[in-house]
Amino acid sequence: MAEPSRRYLDAEVALENLEAVHELLEDWWGAVGDVPPRVRFGFDTAVIEIAGNIIEHSVRLDDETGRRFSLALTGTERMLHARFEDNGRPAGIDLSAVAMAGSEDENGRGLALAIASLDRLDYRFENGRNVWELESGRG
Amino acid sequence: MIEFDIRQQDGGSVVGPRGRLTMVSARAFRDAVTEVIERDGGTVVVDLSGVSFVDSSGLGALVACLKTARQAGGDLRIAAPTEQVTMVLGLTNLDRVLRPRATVEDALHG
Repeated sequence: MAEPSRRYLDAEVALENLEAVHELLEDWWGAVGDVPPRVRFGFDTAVIEIAGNIIEHSVRLDDETGRRFSLALTGTERMLHARFEDNGRPAGIDLSAVAMAGSEDENGRGLALAIASLDRLDYRFENGRNVWELESGRG
Repeated sequence: MIEFDIRQQDGGSVVGPRGRLTMVSARAFRDAVTEVIERDGGTVVVDLSGVSFVDSSGLGALVACLKTARQAGGDLRIAAPTEQVTMVLGLTNLDRVLRPRATVEDALHG
């Protein structure tokens, strides 16, 4: 059995680091190998939405400095997995209550889009950190 | 980051972003399209063939631009979305209000 493909990023919670997440994903996909486009685009979309949620939550609601997040990507023969952790204030999100915004709305699509793009999305606040886990089958 | 080609064609204005349309670039995109709407009016086509990736902030900017165009008496249409953009438009049901056209020509005259 092949070794899992892993990539890891630890960075300041800042808008410019969304680009660092894109770059980490691109590098990781090179190691993961062939995945159907719909699965890859869905996973990319969800990872960027959660990274964006962490950044937006921190920038809008939290004026403390020193906020950092980590992203661990793991690809196995069957599964794609991403885990975010950050030391921001509790996001306090109930994923079961998330619904897609209406077509006239300019906001409110991010989490619904992430849920629709994945097989599984979990959020919890654990040991003083926000933890997000994203998972999809390789298809 | 993102760059924009802006040009006038028979039938309207064409804005062609190149790069990723995300939380990082959505504001600049919205400002660029708003400027075209205020200056030229009429139909504005967003040529998405150079956009490799869009997130919910980018979608929000497209919706805002559509509303601005219609309030100004014009319209905003999208053309030639790439595979990720097509997927995201479908998952969010925005393909009903921003129906993608295959080409810029189709969007200008369709």
